[in-house]
Amino acid sequence: MDEAEFFAADGLSKHFGGIIAVDGLSISLSRGELVGLIGPNGSGKTTTINMVAGALRPDEGTIRLRGVTMTGSPAHVFARGGVARTFQVPRLFRRMTVLENLIVPALSNPAARRAEAERRAGEVLSFLRLEHLTRSLARALSGGQQKLLELGRALMLRPSLLLLDEPFAGVHPQLLAQIMEHIGSLNAGGHTIIVVDHNIDAIRSLVRRTVVMAQGRKIADGPSEDVLRDPAVIRAYTGARDAH
Amino acid sequence: MTRSHAVQAVLLIAALALPAWAGPYWVHVGAIAWYYALLASSWALLAGYAGQFSFAHVAFAALGGYASALLSLHFGIPPGIGVVAGIVLAMVAGALIGWLVLRLTGPYLALFTLALSEIFRLMLVAEQQLTRGSLGLQVPGWFGGESDRPYYYFGLSLLVAALLLMAGLLRTRVGLFLRAIRDDEGAARAAGVNTTLYKILVFVVTSGLAGLAGTYYGPFVGILTPSMVILPEMGLVIAMAVIGGIESLPGAAVGAVIVYGLSELTREYGQWRFVLLGLALILVQRFAQNGIFAVLERPLLRPPAVEAERGRG
Repeated sequence: MDEAEFFAADGLSKHFGGIIAVDGLSISLSRGELVGLIGPNGSGKTTTINMVAGALRPDEGTIRLRGVTMTGSPAHVFARGGVARTFQVPRLFRRMTVLENLIVPALSNPAARRAEAERRAGEVLSFLRLEHLTRSLARALSGGQQKLLELGRALMLRPSLLLLDEPFAGVHPQLLAQIMEHIGSLNAGGHTIIVVDHNIDAIRSLVRRTVVMAQGRKIADGPSEDVLRDPAVIRAYTGARDAH
Repeated sequence: MTRSHAVQAVLLIAALALPAWAGPYWVHVGAIAWYYALLASSWALLAGYAGQFSFAHVAFAALGGYASALLSLHFGIPPGIGVVAGIVLAMVAGALIGWLVLRLTGPYLALFTLALSEIFRLMLVAEQQLTRGSLGLQVPGWFGGESDRPYYYFGLSLLVAALLLMAGLLRTRVGLFLRAIRDDEGAARAAGVNTTLYKILVFVVTSGLAGLAGTYYGPFVGILTPSMVILPEMGLVIAMAVIGGIESLPGAAVGAVIVYGLSELTREYGQWRFVLLGLALILVQRFAQNGIFAVLERPLLRPPAVEAERGRG
């Protein structure tokens, strides 16, 4: 396998009726890369994440992970294949405990045993500093704790590729720093990560490479500092906002 | 041992002892209550645990009952094999419907299954040569003699076995996955759960148990009619599960016994008893959302896994 193509999406397109959400997007990642995916509202970021996670089937294009073509597989096959994700608004199993939320993905592997899943959940909770909430119901958590728990649930899949959809949206600055720290240490530990967010400052300080989408297309891809100075990127943000 | 287990043990002992001190009328009522308890508890697994709000549950009971009876009547198949065939047929139909409703949730699922149930009821009415339509299909009994005790204890055994089977299923990872699907199907898929497989599985299991209930009901009552598939019957099963506790299998069974017992106690009030049932439903929803049984089953020895402290963030 070519290391430069640890993950590759090639020519992805998705239409909803007459609306083109994603139009011929290609993106590839090498193992251990941390990439930011930004763009104005409606630029197709979340549709892209949904296709890469298997939640949406692309109309055109292919998705390969570690050389294996995943296109058209259901979401649970993507998950078991090592693609884990979070959602813009946390989607937890609200009437289940924090521990149960974490062991669901671990036990989705038929070979996994519950004791081992619980041990791993303990490690993840410790990493996220949530161990004091193990037996709490997910619906009882604060918004920030829910974001962390969802990250933990993704980690329980032992992902090869981690897709984080707006992890910084609506979180307290103190928690934002904590989430950034977690993402940084996960990447340092070898995780390949795509972060989608509107928080340009957070993206700039977290990732070295940024991909920008506008109107369903990729308009820039490269080192974050260069990309964020790109006039086309600034224009994409309606011109009303200076991306610097 | 939790308070829940203690309550269940006491209730089981009371149920076993009832025929010793209650008259034949209440033994008869109890034997019918087990039919409803089987339906309510299996529907609680389907709707309360897996979030599949189906209105076709009584249709599966009728399917099992009619299939079992017709095989015995027309082909002379022994009752035991007829029961197995009725259950298997209900499971196959459950798999088919589970597959058909894969993409449906909430009111769409409810309406779809309601329509299927009504179609099945009309088929039972229309196929007079086979089912005797609205006149009802006479079903030979299983046990000789005048006493209903054999049915009472047989029905209770079926209920206990079904509850143990469902509780066992819920203790495995399947139970965890069903609850995850109920809470958020998309998130469950993203967590690696094959939601298609487990949604069909829960339809198969619960349809089989409803079919089992139907195969028991026919020989006991002696007649099967299309009226066992009417909407008020399904509404009654739902009310039983909700009053007892839709997220508790024994709770739903207890709800069935309470509701059916009370409906017999208040029989002299005619239609007003259904008004009382409606009021009971409203009161339970207002003051005990998890049902009557949840009030009793709070664990004595284990701390509750509920609303905990809020931390930072």
